[in-house]
Amino acid sequence: MTALAAPAALRAPSPRLSRWLLRLHRPALYVFTGLVLVLAAALLWLWGPLTDAAAEGWRQWNACGDHPRCSYDQDAILRYKKVYDVTTLAMFLLPFLVAAWAGGALTGGELENGTAELTWTQGVTPARWLAAKLALPAALVAVGTGLLVLLHHLMWSAGEGRIDTSKSWYDTLTFAVNGPGLVGLALAGLVVGALAGLVVRRALAALGVALAAMAALWFATLSALPYLWPAVTTTGDLDSGFAVDGLHVDYGLVTSTGRHIPVPVCNGRCEDVYTKLDAVGIYNDYHPRSHFWPLHLMEAGLLLALAALLTLLAFRLLTRRTATARHREEAAV
Amino acid sequence: MTDTAGLALEATAVGRRFGARWKAPAWALRDCTFKLAAGRVCAVVGPNGAGKSTLLALAAGLLVPTEGTVTVLGTDPASARTRVGYVAQDKPLYPQLTVAETLRMGADLNPGRWDAATGERIVADGGLDPAARVRSLSGGQRTRVALALALAKRPELLLLDEPMADLDPLARHELMGVLMAQAAQHGTTIVMSSHVVAELEGSCDHLLLIGGGRVRLSGEIDDLLAAHVRVSGLAETSLDPHTVVEARTTGRQLTALVRPSGPLPESLRTSTPSLEELVLSYLRNPQAPGTTPAEHEKAAI
Repeated sequence: MTALAAPAALRAPSPRLSRWLLRLHRPALYVFTGLVLVLAAALLWLWGPLTDAAAEGWRQWNACGDHPRCSYDQDAILRYKKVYDVTTLAMFLLPFLVAAWAGGALTGGELENGTAELTWTQGVTPARWLAAKLALPAALVAVGTGLLVLLHHLMWSAGEGRIDTSKSWYDTLTFAVNGPGLVGLALAGLVVGALAGLVVRRALAALGVALAAMAALWFATLSALPYLWPAVTTTGDLDSGFAVDGLHVDYGLVTSTGRHIPVPVCNGRCEDVYTKLDAVGIYNDYHPRSHFWPLHLMEAGLLLALAALLTLLAFRLLTRRTATARHREEAAV
Repeated sequence: MTDTAGLALEATAVGRRFGARWKAPAWALRDCTFKLAAGRVCAVVGPNGAGKSTLLALAAGLLVPTEGTVTVLGTDPASARTRVGYVAQDKPLYPQLTVAETLRMGADLNPGRWDAATGERIVADGGLDPAARVRSLSGGQRTRVALALALAKRPELLLLDEPMADLDPLARHELMGVLMAQAAQHGTTIVMSSHVVAELEGSCDHLLLIGGGRVRLSGEIDDLLAAHVRVSGLAETSLDPHTVVEARTTGRQLTALVRPSGPLPESLRTSTPSLEELVLSYLRNPQAPGTTPAEHEKAAI
């Protein structure tokens, strides 16, 4: 009786999902690979020739001193700045692109036109379908963004101290793409998009939801960033300024008892106000250059934890909606 | 051996509700109970929105029942996944793939079961170019490719949701032939939903009539036809104690479809209804009592 062949069927070889996935999402694969290659080429160009030319330009400019007539390579400086800005922005947008694609094409579109269900009735369980759909793109996204981050960091380090207008380590966009946090954001983007597709089940709507969720996630990351690592506190007398070389977290006044209070509003008569408040100095909470890696690793870790949580949620949603084997454990024995 | 052996599909008090719990939930299917023996070709008939698609999706493991249990090929729908073929009503396929790539996808996703020759033959018999993109195919050609995908995985149970809905009569006849050949050759159980009763007569041997989310009739078509009688006679003739499915009076003339519970009055002229008459009578009269599966089981023995 063929109806009793269930245990044999369970031991069948596993489906070749990766070949099918690569064929299905070939255009996306080409676009992503192309983008990574173009950006990598731009970063190499920046790292080598453009940085050297701009550094030479600044050296010429600084050598001019007070000379009224002096020539320096302004074009090289401007070219470096322009290419740097465009490349950095493009890298920053990658996680959003990944999220939009995952929501629109990876899951949302397939659920909208029924091809997901076609796959689920072709011997692939929904959980396995989702696992393949997340694992393969995740590997590609991690490798691609990881490579770009590495190149960007090397390129940025090469210009540090040599190019007067180079971005500081804590510049918002530069910080975002200069370390592993970007890889975390891109992987979170993949899961956010895939989950949006599973929930909304329509391509265009899922794309929109994924982008909105990513914007919210980015602003949350940005506001949480200063608190991801204990800040350094410096104090000084009332005449020293609030300027710091690093990522500012907080600043204010210190009273004679050592209490930290916010800076009061004083219209030119600050000394009187300070005396009334018993302020004897100022303080600054900030992250120095040495906090770059701890901050980035914390950011990446938290984003990956979020991605893992959302992945779990996506699997729960899918297995609750579709049938899952009741007797799998018994049958496997 | 349990009593589920030999059954291709069994539903016990199955219900499926759609919509959020706090809004007014709508039951697409309620209290649905029936058994289907292996090797049968079963027609699932009912008006639009009766719950036919929901029933097939439940059997395919694409949905989980809100209540009750569905048993497919002696196990739960998810465990039977590799042994069940399913073609959805709108024949979803990847438009960017070619016909050959679509079949290769089937081979990739069904290792150990895929019968490449069957898939290629079904596609070739329709004169389809393997290099043609799915998006360039006509409705009938798409149905053919979808059927090739479902049949080449050598299913023991084939679930088809309105398979012939958008086909011209010739393609309908051809593809029905493909299906019947498959059923005859491999003993495949086929469950197909339709609202065109005429296309089922002659090819199906089991009927499942669904209306308002419930099973109205279930059984072998021959048994069901034998259990019903079309009668005509004088309007004052009493039809008690027989079950009246549909009765119509024109002047002094009475015509009715009844399920006799004993000998009928001598004064009535009787004839055997056609399948279409039977189905239409039930569809026109949603309040008419259906046969319970228990009753039918007794009748079938």
